[in-house]
Amino acid sequence: MADYDVIVIGAGNGGLTAGAQLAANGTKVIVLEQHNLPGGFASSFVRGRFEFEPSLHELCDVGPANDKGSVRTLLEDDLGVNVDFVSVPEAYRLILTEEGLDVTMPFGINEFVDAMDGYVPGSRSQMRAYLDLCKEVLDALTYLGESKGNPDKKVLMKEHANFLKTTPYTVEEVTRRFKIPEQAKKILYAYWCYIGLPMSRMSFTLFSAMLHKYLTKGAYIPRYRSHEMSSAIEAKLLENGGRIEYNTRVDKILVENGKVTGVETSFGDRITTNHVICNASPTMTYNKLISPQSAVPQIAYKEVNARIHGSSAFVLYLGLDATADELGLSDYSYFIYDHMDTDKLYASFNNLFDPTVQATICLNKAIPDCSPAGTSIMSFTILYRPGVWDNVKPEDYVATKRKIADQLIGNFEQATNIHLRKHIEEIEIATPQTFARYTGSFGGGVYGYEPEPWDSIIPRMMSIEDEKYIEGLRFTGGNAFRTYGYSSSLLCGQTVALLTLKDMGVV
Amino acid sequence: MKIHVKGNIRDLLAFKNLVPKRKKRIMRSSATPIGADAVGELSRRLHPQRQHLVISAVKDETSTTKTFRLVPDPDALTPELAPFQAGQYLSIKAEVNGVRITRPYAISSSPGEKEFYEITLRKTENGFLTEYAWANWKVGTKLDSSGPEGTFTYEPLRDTKEILGLAGGSGITPFRSMIKDIVENDLDLKLMLIYGIKCPDDIIFADELQELAKTAPEKISVHYVCSEPDSCWQGRTGFLSADCITELAGDLSNKTLFICGPPQMYRYLEEELKSLSLPKKRIRREAFGEVKDIEQYPGFPPEAQGKSFKLSVTMAGKSLEIPALSNETILVAMERANLAPPSKCRSGECGFCRSRLVAGDVFVRPEDDGRRAADKIFGYIHPCSSYPLSDIVIEVPRDV
Repeated sequence: MADYDVIVIGAGNGGLTAGAQLAANGTKVIVLEQHNLPGGFASSFVRGRFEFEPSLHELCDVGPANDKGSVRTLLEDDLGVNVDFVSVPEAYRLILTEEGLDVTMPFGINEFVDAMDGYVPGSRSQMRAYLDLCKEVLDALTYLGESKGNPDKKVLMKEHANFLKTTPYTVEEVTRRFKIPEQAKKILYAYWCYIGLPMSRMSFTLFSAMLHKYLTKGAYIPRYRSHEMSSAIEAKLLENGGRIEYNTRVDKILVENGKVTGVETSFGDRITTNHVICNASPTMTYNKLISPQSAVPQIAYKEVNARIHGSSAFVLYLGLDATADELGLSDYSYFIYDHMDTDKLYASFNNLFDPTVQATICLNKAIPDCSPAGTSIMSFTILYRPGVWDNVKPEDYVATKRKIADQLIGNFEQATNIHLRKHIEEIEIATPQTFARYTGSFGGGVYGYEPEPWDSIIPRMMSIEDEKYIEGLRFTGGNAFRTYGYSSSLLCGQTVALLTLKDMGVV
Repeated sequence: MKIHVKGNIRDLLAFKNLVPKRKKRIMRSSATPIGADAVGELSRRLHPQRQHLVISAVKDETSTTKTFRLVPDPDALTPELAPFQAGQYLSIKAEVNGVRITRPYAISSSPGEKEFYEITLRKTENGFLTEYAWANWKVGTKLDSSGPEGTFTYEPLRDTKEILGLAGGSGITPFRSMIKDIVENDLDLKLMLIYGIKCPDDIIFADELQELAKTAPEKISVHYVCSEPDSCWQGRTGFLSADCITELAGDLSNKTLFICGPPQMYRYLEEELKSLSLPKKRIRREAFGEVKDIEQYPGFPPEAQGKSFKLSVTMAGKSLEIPALSNETILVAMERANLAPPSKCRSGECGFCRSRLVAGDVFVRPEDDGRRAADKIFGYIHPCSSYPLSDIVIEVPRDV
């Protein structure tokens, strides 16, 4: 008898929902987490009188209680987890500094189209047609989900042809077919940094689904930072008889004759199981975890080498001793880019200094009392391609991150004419190193493998069984089949748990 | 609506070829494993979970104070010391009479001194660790520590370029590091230190501080305030009162206060500083360990005083019942039972000891309650600042 039916490696979003789903099914499951908190990126930290949100900007696909999105359904209905979700007021404020463009876009399809037509008169009909196509993509994805991997080809061809015909292509390739004015396209592309690869390479399926979900379901954040959500999922997992061990890093996934037999932890304990759900990336798993290394087939290395590692992030957190209103902060989410040439913006992720892209948040605009009276919380996020931080020396580390933080504040102040420096009461800075430290992610990666059309959700789903190289090993989280982002990772965990139950012959 | 991207047939073919193309792309790729993870390596160098150290020198500072110099243990796998910022501390892991404990000590050496760390300990009455250290720590003694921790550091994006340091007793140690850093690295920063001492013999680093102030008089100045002076004392007397502070430091509007001292000094300053009405961002306090007289604290329930409770601890799946005294933290109760629970700051702040309170009530002073909001909702505590008010059931992670 194995010690556990299933061992989940890592209590990130995808590990937690996998564990919670298995515990709900009565499976004997243990989650092993190297850090002392649940959630991975979905966490929080306290500095002085402020509690900061480390990585979440806004959850996609939650929806209001009377029009639930998939994430709310997963948590509330499937897992019985209640999170106090708060809605984000507007879709985004977009500022393109080199072009003098400064727009604020609302949620809601009609509202979005109206606002766009206000900024770019004459864009209405093409914008509506474009968003109709986005909806078709979403409907097709919903159908694929409901068909549990066995879609009827006739139905696909008949009702979801537009989805089939666009899924092999990039955003740019598909969008080109619409006569959307250039200026409108710039406004439309604002969310690009949430996926973070240029529109010339980004899967249209993914972008269109995300855009439509945000516009129709709005965006939400947990009231007490992501740590509330992680804690709520953890509590349910424990309530249902699952177990979590913190400070417990898995050093080895033990494999015999091509099958998982257990894991070895940083304490030297060996725990036996036939099923591992791994929240670590395939890159980390095949290169560092599988033991013996000879148990990793050549094809597994080929797969991770074929894929393109996602970006890491740098986040500056400020606790300010003035309210958002006093400072003049009118919006929750500011996308501030030099321009909207996403190829060039993406290329700038290779530069250590002088960021050209920032996604900035004022938490109090969604949760006014998230910090004490008279104060506010901001965070500024930029992305880095792998390798940029590789040669930063430990002795230069603090000065390096401080310089970038200084540039980010300067860029924000210049773009908005809002002055923050005099009000900084608490400051913290996270770099790729920080994310590597707390999540163990390879290279400090925050995003998973880049979803070009060939490596987007559909080809990944279609290859999920074919690309299983070790019996008893499945992946969850941002590097798994649903691609990255909080919502994708949360939903992925449930699916992978159900697939594992199938592997076990339970369902 | 019917959409064609590159033509109806081509689009459908492209869909059909999605997976075969993916396969081809994978087959074409290299089968070479990836070796290094440079960012992961940087992370381990900046924030090692454990540093294996050995004492290379011991210096008597005063009759009750010693400085221990720590270098990497050549016999262990610590090739270098993690860099630190002046003001940070190490959580020293020590075994005292067979019991494993931790203690946070500010690094008193300068960040520029890369080959060693120094920590400076004052022997206190009933000091659990110091008594042991005085008898046992010598050149060659091996110690483990955490990486450098803490946020009691100067941050140019936040702080003014003039610092007013208020030190009490052995709270001088992080200021020695800051002052050395400013002088040795010629930082664009001024620091005036007001050092509160009980009696003249208590002054730690007296000669050294004088020397540093002489080297960079435009940047560093040091003043002493003695509360129990002898007949020879010619300096200021009394406590670090608001009057004393403004008299020495003048206008405070362009200064950031850094405060490090014993809990009674914080309590005293709390009142004094109120009259100066400084913005919160201009006052930075170092955490300074456990409160010794918790039962005297206003708000501590009188019915729980002087009690001993049952503490059930589950760690790594094994459970154990141990006693816990109402005037000691739950962390100390677990250390007494030699469970070696995780801890670093011992002030409620860092959250490294975070544990799940399954049942029971605890007392936490609001100023030591560094918990996350959701942790309060979901029943997590920081045992290092939590005192039992009833029998307790707790789940604790193992130390790393």
